[in-house]
Amino acid sequence: MKANISCIIVAAALAGLSSPAFPNAGQAKNVLTIKDSLDRTVAIPSRVERIITIQPEISRLIVALGAGDTLVGVDYTLRLRDPLFMIVYPEGSRLPLVSMAENNINLEMVLRLKPDLVFVSPYERQIVSALQRKTQIPVVALSSMGSFSKLVEEARLVGRILGRERRADELAAYFDETLRRLGASLKNVPQNKKPRVYLSFGGSLTRTPIFYEPVNAAGGTNVAEKLLPDFLGVITTAVNIEQIVRWDPDIILVHGNYPPPERKVTPVGVLADSRLASVKAVKAKKVYYTFGFWDWWDMAEVLTETLYLANMFYPDAFPGFDLKREGDAIIKKFYGVEGGFSALSKILRCDEWTHEQ
Amino acid sequence: MYIGPWHIPPQDIFKAFLSPLFPSLKQGLPDAERYISTVYDIRLPRLLLALMAGAALSVSGASLQALFKNPLVNEYILGLSSGAAFGAAISIVFLGQHFPPQISAFAFSVVAVLAVWTVAKKSDSQIISLLLTGVIVSAFFSALLSLAEFFASPYALQSLFSWLMGDLSQAGWRPLALSLPLMGLGTVGLILMRWRMNVLSMSDEEAKSLGVNIRNEKLLVIFLATLITSAATAVAGIIGWIGLIVPHLVRMMVGVDNRRVVPLSAALGAGFLILADDLARSLASFEIPVGIFTSLIGIPFFIFLLKKSKKVWL
Repeated sequence: MKANISCIIVAAALAGLSSPAFPNAGQAKNVLTIKDSLDRTVAIPSRVERIITIQPEISRLIVALGAGDTLVGVDYTLRLRDPLFMIVYPEGSRLPLVSMAENNINLEMVLRLKPDLVFVSPYERQIVSALQRKTQIPVVALSSMGSFSKLVEEARLVGRILGRERRADELAAYFDETLRRLGASLKNVPQNKKPRVYLSFGGSLTRTPIFYEPVNAAGGTNVAEKLLPDFLGVITTAVNIEQIVRWDPDIILVHGNYPPPERKVTPVGVLADSRLASVKAVKAKKVYYTFGFWDWWDMAEVLTETLYLANMFYPDAFPGFDLKREGDAIIKKFYGVEGGFSALSKILRCDEWTHEQ
Repeated sequence: MYIGPWHIPPQDIFKAFLSPLFPSLKQGLPDAERYISTVYDIRLPRLLLALMAGAALSVSGASLQALFKNPLVNEYILGLSSGAAFGAAISIVFLGQHFPPQISAFAFSVVAVLAVWTVAKKSDSQIISLLLTGVIVSAFFSALLSLAEFFASPYALQSLFSWLMGDLSQAGWRPLALSLPLMGLGTVGLILMRWRMNVLSMSDEEAKSLGVNIRNEKLLVIFLATLITSAATAVAGIIGWIGLIVPHLVRMMVGVDNRRVVPLSAALGAGFLILADDLARSLASFEIPVGIFTSLIGIPFFIFLLKKSKKVWL
């Protein structure tokens, strides 16, 4: 018996020694240590049951991982301006707001909600350090910046943090497999036959992403992909309209992920713009809406958009393609909601331009 | 016309420019349609906008400095820039494609100046009242602008930010169709009034003794200055410092006589903004807001001249 007690004492002492120091020490003994997008090492409590996130990409991912009930506070954009979140997690409409549009976080509210963990975007570096210093709550800065491989990595990482590795693996495998199948369908397209695409994003004709993987995965080439971003931490740049004429793209895509009253640039407007009259895409009337950034990124949405673009670029390769059916299936896979994509299209009135597919 | 992100050889620019008169020149161009479109639909309207906006803002600044007898006055002193900024924000953040920022900015800049005039017109000390009310109305519209920014999406904020820093990249014939005539008429009107500004820059008693109807003359200067600054700001955004620095530079060169200061301000302002815009569109792969260059070039040059001459002219 004595030996057994000694063993227990030694084991307990070793366990204590092996647990790294952790600011929120009362809550956890065994911690997981991760590196976030700012290359910070963050110690995660072993049990994460209360989460605040002001990073919409992560908030939706948490719902997709089946852990929506761990959310105790979210940001303004997600709760009030994100129709996708409203559809896939209606309970989110009752969550307290901890930050407003400019991400000016309400520290008192954060403390009151007693989260085990806070997710923020790496774009707000000053919030990251100030929040952890002032609240002593672990803060994780995460973003994929639209990279497909990072989206998958991020899903797996958040899955580990939440103890939902199996669900994360399932989503990652589905994502990878869908893209692999798409890639296989397009593997015989020679480089010089790929459409050269210009993207007009963010409500400006001349603002364009320098990195937009849905276009590449759908078998297109983004004409702006060798440029530099014009702000640190973003993947867009503002180009001179002359540059668009010089690129002479085959297709122009317009960010259509806004309800109609908020759309500043429209395909009709681009087609009527005399400055672009000599551009191939305008002459051939190949100016279309696409979905575009979605309050950061979303695996389900980005997959749907990639299929939408692939069908737009190569309609003959996908006979019988039905965007609504595919979109609904993808949203159901990620969020378990029936008819999610159809509902979303209705809210944003995207069905005005997606009905042809 | 030779400067742009697309390095078209100068001789081809020249041919493209003359090709509507001499269609045979098109045959010597490797890509005639796109070259001509670049010259006529992109570079020419942008050049005209830089030329006219630079002239208009400088003339407006020079005229208001003479009117207010104050070297610190600029073209935005009557609350115009804050009104225009709020107008642009309303359009960019809330109203979408159906209400372009140019119209909204123009409307609110005029509203701001009208508010200033309405409040200050009956004051005993009208000049000081106008200046003070201008500051207050500016602050009011700045607060409204902050409120609009608070509700803006990140994309709307980026567009608004570019507009607030001065942006000539949206120049095209459609927005210029209305603003160019307004800027042209107003600038010519103020240049024609240049000798009266010498009278207005005297004390009111002296001006009256010369038979000038001070109230009407002041109102006309304010009206024309508001018209051209609003028209320029609506299409080019808020381009800072031109209306302050250019008239000072001109006075350092030719003295304080408004008969020379006003037209030369127009010429120097036009050249200055064209130079700044050349840098803005050619230094990087992305568009740098032109307002940054007007400040980066204008302020050090101004400080240099100020130190050299050791005198502020009024």
